[in-house]
Amino acid sequence: MMRAPVGLLSAAILLLASSADIAAQDLMDHSAHSGHDSMRLDRDGSVMNENLDSLPRGCEALGRHLHFTIHAGVKYARDIPGSIFGMSQYEVRVEPCSRVTVTFVNEDEVRHQWMVHGLPKYLYPAGMFHIEASGGKSVTGTFIVPAEDRNYLIHCDLSQHMEKGMRGQLVVGRGSGDLWSVGGASAYFFRDDYMPRFALLFAVLLAVPGFLATWYLAKRESATGSASRREIFD
Amino acid sequence: MKIRKSLLLLIAAIAIGALSYPPQWYPMPLRLQLTRWFGAADYRPLPLSMDPQVLDAETFCPEDASGWREAQVIDGVSVTRSAPCVADNPYAVAAFVKGTNNVSKDTLLRSGLTSDAVEKGRDLDGDGDPDEIHIRLEVAELNGGSSVTQRPVTSYDIAPGIQPGMWVFAPKLVGMAVENFETGIARDALRLPSPAIRVEQGDSITITLENSHYMPHTLHLHGADHGFVDSSGEGNDGVPITSEIPVMPGHARSYELQPRHAGTMFYHCHVQPHVHVLMGLQGLFVVEENRPNNWLQTMNVGAGLVRAPSAAVRESYDQEYDLHYLDLDKDLGERIRKYRDPRLITQSMHREYDITDADVDFFTLNGRSFPYTFRESLLVAAEGERLKLRVVNGGAKGISLHTHGHKFSVTDRDGVRLSPATIVPQDVVWIPTAQRVDLDLFLTNDGLHSYGRGIWLYHDHQNKGVTNDGIGPGGNISAIVYADYIDDSGWPKTQGVPWNQYFTKEYYRKEIPIWESYAPGLFSNTVSDPWWYPRLAGMALALAMLAALSIAALRRRSS
Repeated sequence: MMRAPVGLLSAAILLLASSADIAAQDLMDHSAHSGHDSMRLDRDGSVMNENLDSLPRGCEALGRHLHFTIHAGVKYARDIPGSIFGMSQYEVRVEPCSRVTVTFVNEDEVRHQWMVHGLPKYLYPAGMFHIEASGGKSVTGTFIVPAEDRNYLIHCDLSQHMEKGMRGQLVVGRGSGDLWSVGGASAYFFRDDYMPRFALLFAVLLAVPGFLATWYLAKRESATGSASRREIFD
Repeated sequence: MKIRKSLLLLIAAIAIGALSYPPQWYPMPLRLQLTRWFGAADYRPLPLSMDPQVLDAETFCPEDASGWREAQVIDGVSVTRSAPCVADNPYAVAAFVKGTNNVSKDTLLRSGLTSDAVEKGRDLDGDGDPDEIHIRLEVAELNGGSSVTQRPVTSYDIAPGIQPGMWVFAPKLVGMAVENFETGIARDALRLPSPAIRVEQGDSITITLENSHYMPHTLHLHGADHGFVDSSGEGNDGVPITSEIPVMPGHARSYELQPRHAGTMFYHCHVQPHVHVLMGLQGLFVVEENRPNNWLQTMNVGAGLVRAPSAAVRESYDQEYDLHYLDLDKDLGERIRKYRDPRLITQSMHREYDITDADVDFFTLNGRSFPYTFRESLLVAAEGERLKLRVVNGGAKGISLHTHGHKFSVTDRDGVRLSPATIVPQDVVWIPTAQRVDLDLFLTNDGLHSYGRGIWLYHDHQNKGVTNDGIGPGGNISAIVYADYIDDSGWPKTQGVPWNQYFTKEYYRKEIPIWESYAPGLFSNTVSDPWWYPRLAGMALALAMLAALSIAALRRRSS
């Protein structure tokens, strides 16, 4: 029950960030053209902003070294209606300051990405950590999570892959509340209607007897108390 | 007592109503009679013109911070200068020429392409250029929907504020689909039209369609010499009803061809083509004549100037341009944003959308409509130059392509050379859906081929083609610009009206008076007439009083 307001708040922040120019301003210098500061690229894919040993602020020591193997592909979307692309795991829970190694296994024949957003920019240019795997390949990358309890967006940034299923969250410590639209974990913020065809007719048909009944009851009441009222008006 | 009060109220209601009723609504005989009695009414000035809205115009010509417009040699590949403001990424041009498997790591990183985007292999005929070509294409959605934002996702503006939903084939790229996560603007290589593909006659070509989109697609090589089946006997024509099962999301399929005939061809998706082709899944497919040492620019992102033209084209022409015309139906494109669930999108696009009742709203040339066409698709040349224009009309409707100040010749139609006797100068050519024409535009000032230097428009002469959803100027208007009529930044030195309003969203939202920039006040919006407030209030009051009096009278009668 506590989750709903937190979720709503985080969605509001997300919407604010997506419409406000403030966020865009300090990101202008991190455009795709200049973002090759730390990139490992080969035929299998790439890792961007890998971090094996730089501690985020507020971390006194490196935490545990955690290893996740995350599979991506259309077959992982089959159990989630209305999604096309999927991941074997949408939620990754880690302790603050831990070193996280992700082996990203792409089981499709097209590219996929496992991308974390909102990380501190002094360690991760544009706030991103990014693994990309070509079709049928697996790529491993490592980064160190910050000290604060927070939820970070994980997604695939190929056009429409996040929108059609590849949206997850990295929960550091106790987190800061679920993000919206995380596969199998939280609701869609904007959701299609799926209204049954005859729902509107059904509602109207129900409203008519409701109206008639209320009217009848109100009339009966006014009939019983009418004598005294007539005296006043006449 | 009661009756008299009602009578007084009735008289008051009629008086209020009559006084507030606007005289211009009186019946004509009454007005004429009143004029006979009282003469014309006194002068009452018409409302004033509204003050012009202060508009925030976009920059006409964005600065070329990366130096992409300049002529340069990258990894030994000569990339010609591109004069208009917005140029293709020259590193991608170089990578397309040498092959993404053969360029330096630095060039590959700057190109944004994967190392297998365009692989070039052996020289099979020993003439100094690679003949084994492996091209990989992905499918991207522009201006799509989302369950977390109402903004178009991977946004792409064809003109100020105009973002129709689209699907395109795209080169295989490394990294995000957007420039950065916050703006959500599609990166420069993800755009309309799908890239023009260039191969050499006789080359052994494999095109792998990596379907990164959420719907099934195929690749159909329209007009290009290809077998119905590939070397392994699998369907190779891209037609679901006769050739093969479409490529499902997340899957890939390779198509093979070894074209014997050179010419300007076409490629498109053949799944539900009445929807998918119209959504943008189409591109030019150029088969260049075989020549020794003929290193081709395998893809031309966004069509336009070919910055590393083929040997055969260089023999006869100074410049080569790919011009891709495509019209778009707003009602079709917005369906990918209206729903999020791919099942509902599919139902809406393929069953509810009825193309037989549809009409088109936007008219693009190389993926943009005016005024953005002037950033990219200007034909910039010096007097005396000869230009080869490879033109395709991929739209649902024909176009009537017209050049100002010039007569061009149609040398090839559908990739086949016309007989010399039929090649005559003309200034309008009708291009029906899917047809290609090769045009020879000769900038010699002889009063026939050219009337001299200047800024000369070229556009579809059907009137709706020069609008953005009915607002002009818009659509596929672009221009032939002589070198001394363009400034260093790449903007033409126009002498006509100011363009500020064309670079605003408001103008194409139909909010701005069309001649405001040079005839302020004369044809502006008018302020409204405040006299309507007392008049309408009076009439409403009169009606309310009459209604109340009638109800009271009825009740009295019934009791």
